Amino acid sequence: MIGITAFAAAIPAYRVARDTIAAAWETRSLGGRLAAHRFDEDSLTLAASAAADCLCTLPGKTAGGLYFASTTAPFLERLNAGLVAAFLDLPAETRTADFANSLRAGLFALGAATDAVAAGRSENVIAAAADTRNAPAGGDEEQFYGDAAAAIAIGSTNVLAEIISRGGISDDFLETVRRDRDDYVTSFASKFTAERGYAHSMAAAIRRNMQQAKLEPAQISRLVLSSPDKGAHLALAKKLGFQPAQVQDTAWDQLGVTGTAMPLLLLASALEQAKPGEYILVAAHGDGAGAMILRTTEELAGYRPRASFAQQLASAIEFRSYTKWRKSRDYLREQDDTLEVSNIWYAKEETQNVRLRGMECGHCGTRQLQHQLLCPKCHKTDAIQEVPLARTGSVFTFAVDQLFPSPFPPTAMAVVDLDGGGRIYCEVVDCDPDKVQIGLPVELTIRRLKEGGGLHHYYWKCRPKRF
Amino acid sequence: MDASIRDKVAVIGVGCTKFGDLFDQNLADLMVEAATAACADAGVGLDELNAAWLGTFSPGMNGGKATITLADALRFHGRPITRVENYCATGTDAFRNAVMAVASGQVKMALVLGAEKLKDRPVRGLQREGIHPLLEYGTTAPGMFALAANRYMNTYGVKRESLAKVAVKNHAAGALNPKAHFQMKVTEEQVLKAPLIAYPFGLFDCCPTTDGAAAAIICSAETARALGKPLITVKGMGLAVRTGKPFLDPTCDYRGFPATQEASAQAYKAAGIKNPVEEISFAEVHDCFTWTELTNTEDLGFCKAGEGPRFVEEGHSTIGGKLPVNPSGGLKSFGHPVGATGVRMVYEIVTQLREQAGPRQVKNARIGLAHNLGGPGAVSCVLLLGRDT
Repeated sequence: MIGITAFAAAIPAYRVARDTIAAAWETRSLGGRLAAHRFDEDSLTLAASAAADCLCTLPGKTAGGLYFASTTAPFLERLNAGLVAAFLDLPAETRTADFANSLRAGLFALGAATDAVAAGRSENVIAAAADTRNAPAGGDEEQFYGDAAAAIAIGSTNVLAEIISRGGISDDFLETVRRDRDDYVTSFASKFTAERGYAHSMAAAIRRNMQQAKLEPAQISRLVLSSPDKGAHLALAKKLGFQPAQVQDTAWDQLGVTGTAMPLLLLASALEQAKPGEYILVAAHGDGAGAMILRTTEELAGYRPRASFAQQLASAIEFRSYTKWRKSRDYLREQDDTLEVSNIWYAKEETQNVRLRGMECGHCGTRQLQHQLLCPKCHKTDAIQEVPLARTGSVFTFAVDQLFPSPFPPTAMAVVDLDGGGRIYCEVVDCDPDKVQIGLPVELTIRRLKEGGGLHHYYWKCRPKRF
Repeated sequence: MDASIRDKVAVIGVGCTKFGDLFDQNLADLMVEAATAACADAGVGLDELNAAWLGTFSPGMNGGKATITLADALRFHGRPITRVENYCATGTDAFRNAVMAVASGQVKMALVLGAEKLKDRPVRGLQREGIHPLLEYGTTAPGMFALAANRYMNTYGVKRESLAKVAVKNHAAGALNPKAHFQMKVTEEQVLKAPLIAYPFGLFDCCPTTDGAAAAIICSAETARALGKPLITVKGMGLAVRTGKPFLDPTCDYRGFPATQEASAQAYKAAGIKNPVEEISFAEVHDCFTWTELTNTEDLGFCKAGEGPRFVEEGHSTIGGKLPVNPSGGLKSFGHPVGATGVRMVYEIVTQLREQAGPRQVKNARIGLAHNLGGPGAVSCVLLLGRDT
């Protein structure tokens, strides 16, 4: 049996109300809110967060592969999946690949993961899809796009939902386009796009899977559809003979249209609500459409995602001004390109800075992040070993610094003592700086730190322990 | 072999520029002003000096990195010059190294010059150099000391009001000092209501970035006696280094600064001091932030751990108190041109010991202590100077 073995959603902590955007342009608000990344988040950090949460519910907390899917990958040349795998401290043998350029990229990654497992090449391959799409300032799409990620693992044991069918159609159709020279999406929104780009392709993919699985609409418990807007998926479902109650909420009101992450994210939310023995159909559009039918197993009853869609949907901090929301999207792009590093330095420190491995003294057990050949406590040198450090801990002390480089000072900086040993100095994100105090339990999260030398530089930050 | 430095080396001349935003002067101008003042004070010519020690922290647009800065500014050619950099303990450590050279007999008469031009820099505060681009990204001096202060305040239940009292005291002293960067009094309310820089520090909890230079001329005690100078000698010295990355060091508990405890223990031993609070007449300590002075008074043994706030609240450290701390106004008011600060402390101590400090004069000044604390509490240098009684 091949199917889903783990899943996780990663929704940024921040939101922006569509009213806030509409007020800035004195235009009509579509209501509700959008998920918004912080200035230090991008599709890679969101995917890493989802993949990490997915990984820790897999047996042995390890995976045979990690696929990254996004239309907004931070690197156009350099494997994004390779970097995410390194943040997860996955071994060199891990299968890695990037999927890009289509709103269906997330579904492509999921399909490739299924193929790898079906071919017996790998076990528990994680497909992590994320998007942080930018609409032109003042354009209609500004009220559409939300930022999010989801990760789904495919394996052949302890399967939570078996894959019954999958397949789709390809169509080189002009719906949304972004050239290599563009920062913003060009949208060909029209009635024609709604019909051919969405309804026609989606219907074809869904019918094909229903026939393959020999199922009638009434047998599907949850219909998980991507949607380019608030209601296109509802009209489609009705046309195909489904009842509104069968259709999974797209979180238009709370998150917006989350790009290539959308089908995986909504599938994660459906799996959280589903009971064993249900049929779930997931379909996504973009340059054609693809679909997949799953049947949940008894295993699902005992599965708890580490970071659930429902909890993350509820927890939110709001950008109260359009300017701050927009600034958070543009900040790193505008940063000085000053931090130049050599690839020798990068490679030498990869285990420390990226994989978060520290050093442990075999004599006194002292752990530290810095790779040092001498124990800081007992000063011995003959039993120092590299160990993975825990990614949870508590605030030992802190400072709320107005001078720290940030678009929104002050910045809460903390000395965090990691569970099991080791100490790190990092920013506390996703909470009011004034709420940071000694003893606060935190979890580490990878974020964009700085630009320079042709690179985005990532480093660890921490946030209050979520769940 | 643990030969004491006590009474071997004398300070025969001191000089100091006005400290402040010296927009019209460059580093060389400040060096010339401080050195010639010290020479005039000692009654010797620059050409009579056998060696020089330059204390500068941060190389700027107009020199400071190498010894040639001093060599060219003073045309101090053909003789040994050593540049010392040891974080904010740069000035006192330059002095300490010069003292050891004179004590060894290798150098007869030496110039110690601390100079810093911070205001010409394009950055706010101190330029960050040589730090890890990720593990220490964005660290600021207020941020580093706030980490220690918040831990301390949490441990001892101390409020910002206790910190503010240090600012009030040191501004009051600075108001009496014509060379000080700030010469105005502040109220506790002003301090508490000032904009926050790095919690718990507001604007008035922080020392300023300052331009300035200070110089001292030193020689052996015998030479000083032969010149007929009033004898002010080095009684003891100490220097200790601890981790520069307490925020990454799992063994650091952020309880006081061990470097200060160790450096002062070395100096007290050399000087034969058993009970600092009784035997030391006054102290110039490193109040880079108000809270730092509180913990300094504990680490230097003036009071017990956690009693620093009471020490200042009860008035013991005012100019008329039992152990005046920073009668010059301290870094808080006199200013903090990093490399110059330690040498400026020597200038202040000598001025006090000669009873030439005017309205800020400490009564019965016999032994003065200078204390620098550099990096995130990593480096401490302590000097003890005394007058012949």
